[in-house]
Parts: sequence; C-alpha cells; structure tokens
Amino acid sequence: MLASAVVIYMLVSILYLYAAVGERWNLVVSALFDSRVLGAIVISISSALIVGALAIAAAIPSAYLLAYKSFRGKGALETFLIDLPQTFPPVTEGLVYLLMFGRIGLAYTYAAVLIAKFYVSAPFAISFATRRFREVRESGLDVIARTLGAKTSHVLSRILLPLSSRDLLAGFSLTWARAMGELAATLVFAGAIPWRTEAIPTLVYLTAAEKPEVAIAASVIAETLSIVALLLFRWIARKGS
Amino acid sequence: MKGLVVQGISKSYGNIKALDRLELTVNPAEFMAVMGPSGCGKTTLLLAILGVLKPDEGHIWIDGKDIDELPLDERNIGYVPQDFGLFPHLDVYENIAFGLRVRKHAEAKIRDKVRELLLIVDLGGMEERKPKELSAGQRQRVALARALATGPSVLLLDEPLSSIDEATKGEVRANLKEIQKKTNVTTLCVTHNPEDSFQLGERIAIMYSGKIIQCDTPQGILDNPKTDLVRKLVAPMYILWNRTGPL
Repeated sequence: MLASAVVIYMLVSILYLYAAVGERWNLVVSALFDSRVLGAIVISISSALIVGALAIAAAIPSAYLLAYKSFRGKGALETFLIDLPQTFPPVTEGLVYLLMFGRIGLAYTYAAVLIAKFYVSAPFAISFATRRFREVRESGLDVIARTLGAKTSHVLSRILLPLSSRDLLAGFSLTWARAMGELAATLVFAGAIPWRTEAIPTLVYLTAAEKPEVAIAASVIAETLSIVALLLFRWIARKGS
Repeated sequence: MKGLVVQGISKSYGNIKALDRLELTVNPAEFMAVMGPSGCGKTTLLLAILGVLKPDEGHIWIDGKDIDELPLDERNIGYVPQDFGLFPHLDVYENIAFGLRVRKHAEAKIRDKVRELLLIVDLGGMEERKPKELSAGQRQRVALARALATGPSVLLLDEPLSSIDEATKGEVRANLKEIQKKTNVTTLCVTHNPEDSFQLGERIAIMYSGKIIQCDTPQGILDNPKTDLVRKLVAPMYILWNRTGPL
C-alpha cells in the first residue's frame, strides 16, 4: 500500500508537468525558437556534458586512492569527497565560490557555471567508481594481474577501467542529470546572463512569476531531455555489457 | 639454491600467529603440496610468497634470490587462485596472453606461446570463448596456461580442486599433474584435502598452527607420521592410499 503511494507520488511528480502543458504544446515548440530558452538549453547541456567528463576524469584517480591505498584520515577524505558535497547547501557553496574566485574575475562566467555544477555533481561519479573499484579489488583480479607483471597503469587500463565501464557510465549519467538540474550554486556564483551563464533551472526560476508559460516550456524541455538522456545512457550500458 | 626456500617467516594478526617461523624448501621442478586444516595459515603463506603481505620476520628465496623487497609484479611467480581468477572481460586467448602483453612481447611471440600453451592444456579451438562459457575444469586449465605463459620460476596453486565437482575431480587432478610434469615448473599447492595433497604432491608438507610439522613423501608420511596429530590429519589416506596408490 505504502509502496503504491510512493510509486504514484513519483509518477505524478514527473508526469504532472506534461499534464500542465495540456493542449498548449505550441508554447513548448515556440519556446524552442526563443533565443533566451535556446541559449539556456545550450548552456545546460554543454556544461552538464563537460562536468560529467571532468567528474569521470576526477573519479578515476580518486576512486583508486580510496579503494587501494591505506592512509590515516581515509574515511574523512571519503566523506569530504562524496558525502559532504551532497549535503552541503548549494547556495552556500555558490557564495563560497563567489568570495573565493570573484576577485580573480571568474564570477559570472561560463567557467563559474562549470565550477558550481562540478562540486555538487561529481560525487555521483566518484561514488560509483569507488564502489566498483572496491569490488574488483575484493575479487583479487588486480593481484593476479600484478603476478603476471602488470604495473599500476596496466591494472588501471586493462582490468579496472574495462570492468568498471558500466559503473563509470552510470556515474556519468547521474552526474550529468544532477548538473542539468543544479540551480542555487550556479545562480549565486555564475548569475544568469543569457547565452553565457543562464541555464534552464535559472531561466525557470527567473521567469516562473512573470512569464510562467516560458518557465513551463523550459521545464518540459529540461525534463524530457533528462529522461531521454538517462534512457540513452542505460541503453548504452546494457549494450556494452 | 634453486627452487623455493621459505626461511623462518612469521606473521601475526594481533595476538594470532598465522605463521610461526615457518621453514619450507621446494626443490626445482618439484610438486609440493602443503596440507592443513582451515585456519592453519596456508593462505597467509601463499600471500607472503606472492608479496601481497609482508612477513614480520624471515626470508623467502626463489632460485637463490632473496625476493623480500621485490614488488608483486617483479617476483615472477605464477598464481592460480581458488576461483581461478580469470579476467571476465577477456576471452581465453587474451587471458593467456595477458602477462606477455604487459611485458611488451612481440605479437608473433605471443601468438606462438599462446598456441603452445593451448595445446599443453588441451584447449585448442576455445580461444574466443569467454570464461563464463567454460566448465570449471576448463577454466582451471586456462588459469594454469595464463600463469605459465610468462615462464614463472614458481607456480602457486590455492586449493586448485575445491571448485571442481566430484565427478570430474580425478580427471582434472591427473591433468594438473601432467601439465606440471610437462612444464617442469617448481610448484607449491596448498589444500585442506588429504586426498588432493597425496595425489598431487611428490612431497607433502603438513601444516598446523602456522608451522610445518612434517614434510615427506606421501608414503613416508603414512609409514612414519611424526606425531599423533599428523596421523589424525592424514587418517583417511590409510585406507584410500593403500587402495588407489599414486596417480
């Protein structure tokens, strides 16, 4: 009973937006040709893709460190890399970046969008990679590879990465989705300059009161993009296995 | 001296002594079985020889060279774990070729070596199969071929027959012994199973509480068990060995 209620709650949360659009689909289509909306879509997708790629690049050495190395404070480091960014208020993080990087001219730039989104999104990729690297370590396959003469670079390129490709893709897709939806840190640190730093969430936030039809149209586009992208990533992962 | 020499190694985990000044010598090309009950320190001994863990004291020598300070990838030891540890994403050919590839051997040499080993382990025609498409016995032979491909000085086998079903165990055991004879590699095999150790080992080291308490030929152990504990540990063999004898 409770499970059904949860399922209904989740479904309604996703589908209600489409119901709200109703027969006004022409609004969504015309929003696609609105320069400001188009700019927000481009900024959102491109920054989320770059953040996803950077997160994977950061996740591989971080996961190796957490899975294979023993050192004092490892638990604290893991909390710092994975748990804290997911619980830390994004708006506060945006303010931290504004104070830290504002004086060197990074605020209100495309780089600011990437920096803000990376902090809150990358933990997904690091978490997925760390979990999988630990599974491989427990299987002992890396020890066998080393007895055969493999160095760390061989273990990474020939064992860990091929055996973790699905998990890395899953980490990438969740990082991408989280980066697509990030609002507070981006708004505070990067602002909302059309075609420069304004992403879909900031556009929705800024237009919801004055131009609700634009906000709804942009939301439908963002939600559809997220669903399609997640299905695509899953399909690629299934095909890869 | 050639072969494998384990000289007085100890390893403790807190108050528990997993290895207690253990001494063991495996002669060149010999098949030595280390037999003992669960928890006697067999796995710790293997891990110490492999270089996965560092003993608290003592030395390990392979072919006259002290390997204490050598990292895992430079010890030149072939290792076949209990579950065979095949790389699931690689086919049979690539599993066997793995060590040769990371050592940057020429492609032609890799091809020749893999073919030679496939013949030795009787797996010709299975090069493209993935590990999940093989039987347990076949997986074991791939793991052996992979371990032998790099020409190891010593081969370590961890409970090599524990994943094999009883119906095919005899055949797999015979194959294992035959492959070791063909390749003449110094072999140390740890097992808790008296029958496996008696059938495989030219000599058997009986291990208990982190020590080797007797090391002799199978017949020597049956004829002259040093203690009641040894007699008890090999008790099933008084009937089996006299009935079946060596392979």
